[in-house]
Amino acid sequence: MDASLIFAQSLSGLSRGMMLFLIASGLSLIFGVMNILNFAHATFWLIGAYCCYTFWFLMQDYNFALWISIPLAALTLAALGWVIEVVLIRRVYNRDLPEQLLLTYAMVLVLGDLIKIVWGVDDKLIARPPLVADPVFIFGMPFDSYFLFVISVGLAVAIGLWWFLKKTRYGHIIRAAVFSREMVSALGIPIPRIYTGVFALGIFIAGLAGAVQAPVGSITLGMDMAVVIQAFCVVVIGGFGSLLGTFVAAIIVGEVYAFSILFWPQGALVLIFVVTAFILIIRPWGLFGTPTRA
Amino acid sequence: MIRYGWLGLIFIATLILPLVIGEYWIHVAVEILIMGLFAVSFNMIFGYMGQLSFGHAAYFGAGAYATGLLMVKTSVPLPICLAISMITAGVLALVIGYFCVRLTGIYFAILTMAFGQMLYYIIFQWYSFTGGDDGLQGIVPPDWIIQVTAYYYFTLFIVTGALIVMWVISESPFGYTMRAIRDNADRTRFIGINVRKYMLINFVVAGMFAGLAGGLLGPFNRSIAPDLCNWHQSGVPVFMTVIGGPLGFLGPVIGSVIYTFLFAFVTGFTEYWPLTIGLVIIFVVLYMPGGVLGLVKTKFKTIGAEESMDAEA
Repeated sequence: MDASLIFAQSLSGLSRGMMLFLIASGLSLIFGVMNILNFAHATFWLIGAYCCYTFWFLMQDYNFALWISIPLAALTLAALGWVIEVVLIRRVYNRDLPEQLLLTYAMVLVLGDLIKIVWGVDDKLIARPPLVADPVFIFGMPFDSYFLFVISVGLAVAIGLWWFLKKTRYGHIIRAAVFSREMVSALGIPIPRIYTGVFALGIFIAGLAGAVQAPVGSITLGMDMAVVIQAFCVVVIGGFGSLLGTFVAAIIVGEVYAFSILFWPQGALVLIFVVTAFILIIRPWGLFGTPTRA
Repeated sequence: MIRYGWLGLIFIATLILPLVIGEYWIHVAVEILIMGLFAVSFNMIFGYMGQLSFGHAAYFGAGAYATGLLMVKTSVPLPICLAISMITAGVLALVIGYFCVRLTGIYFAILTMAFGQMLYYIIFQWYSFTGGDDGLQGIVPPDWIIQVTAYYYFTLFIVTGALIVMWVISESPFGYTMRAIRDNADRTRFIGINVRKYMLINFVVAGMFAGLAGGLLGPFNRSIAPDLCNWHQSGVPVFMTVIGGPLGFLGPVIGSVIYTFLFAFVTGFTEYWPLTIGLVIIFVVLYMPGGVLGLVKTKFKTIGAEESMDAEA
């Protein structure tokens, strides 16, 4: 095997990793701040992909259709996340873990069927705009030019989230709320509104991820089922609530997949769970998490 | 004693049930029994040990594949297949549980799920042995229970026996030790109990009965598929237990009756079963914590009043 193949494979692993990061970062943010594990996260991701398709379909005569559809889909999902938080999630803040899990699991089923009702059972395909239609050649190896876009969106979201949480006033409030809800609310900051905002932000990123995913292949019902588990694994490996951890873990999982598909295709899907179980056994709080949460 | 009277009545009712309902509903009844056993075995971990196993389908699926493979590839009699199913699932639970009982809460849930998904993808990919995603076909029960009514009585006999064994376990000192671990693992450790060992034993027992339930499913459906081990299958006993109520021994069975009956009923006229059950679950979580059994107990304190509801808090 020569160097250019390894390079191409690691680039495709990176784009897969960035895709996983986009899904897992919102999941990790919501869990880190609200302590709610959102089973429906990948279902929102899938809705984002379908929304992107619809916006693209309405504007398909124009070359720029896709580039407008992606942010539109993400904003639609943010609004949906806002509503769901206010109507459902808010009612289970103080419940036990199993009840919260069940509520979000039930949302997977309900939203999954609503997707079927709204968009039907046929696969949806977005024709790519000319800018990303042809592969680019890197060291003589063909590489899907759209994946370069995926990688840059992933990096942009990582940097944007980091900047938001570390450098802005709202980011500071959110991080303070993780450590002491009582203190933050004693300072006159409404915790429910912070939670709603965080949930909407998480779902916004999920929607963005879905919209970015949409032109990669066809959009199919039930795609979310396998993805949500992989996103869980990424969050677990990185450590709950750690953005850096999620980022590193997503790249690890993406690369492990890209190279195992080369050497041992049957085992590629099993391997992620082996890695996850291994991490949970030796270091339950993940690579970058803190033991206090365990 | 009134409780036992009720149980006796229910048992007699289940005995005469096939005489009064049609063949379709006998199928439903068999499924209720199998899934009820699966859900009760799940509740040994959830209700009595206080941990949410989100990979319980692994043992169910392992049991189903043990019996299925034996029946397709050999001529071992069914009861021995079922025993081997229990042993297979128990050994699997021993290996997985050895690691899982070190964790609690969300970590326990995710680790059980990760192991469950590992098994799922192994079965899914291993075409030469498990048939991959084609599953296994032609698992025909022996002649003496090939009629659905006969299979119903066979299942009723085995499930009742298994439930009695699990009930005895849950009412034994061991069962009360599990409740102590659920309510306060640290204090239980302080009085000299090896918490991990007890949790592991409970995990293995729960896995064995899940394997038995899985074993019963293959010959009933005549086929099995790897989806039996997938994570949505692990959600089914969780649903049943939450609908029925986790704090009574028979709560998951009540949940199985409601869930399976609803499934048979709803799928009769709409394909949107997930939507229906999803809305039911949201309703139960928001307005009926404690499930149907919890509701019945708060409304009619006399029935089973001696069982405490304290863990609800």
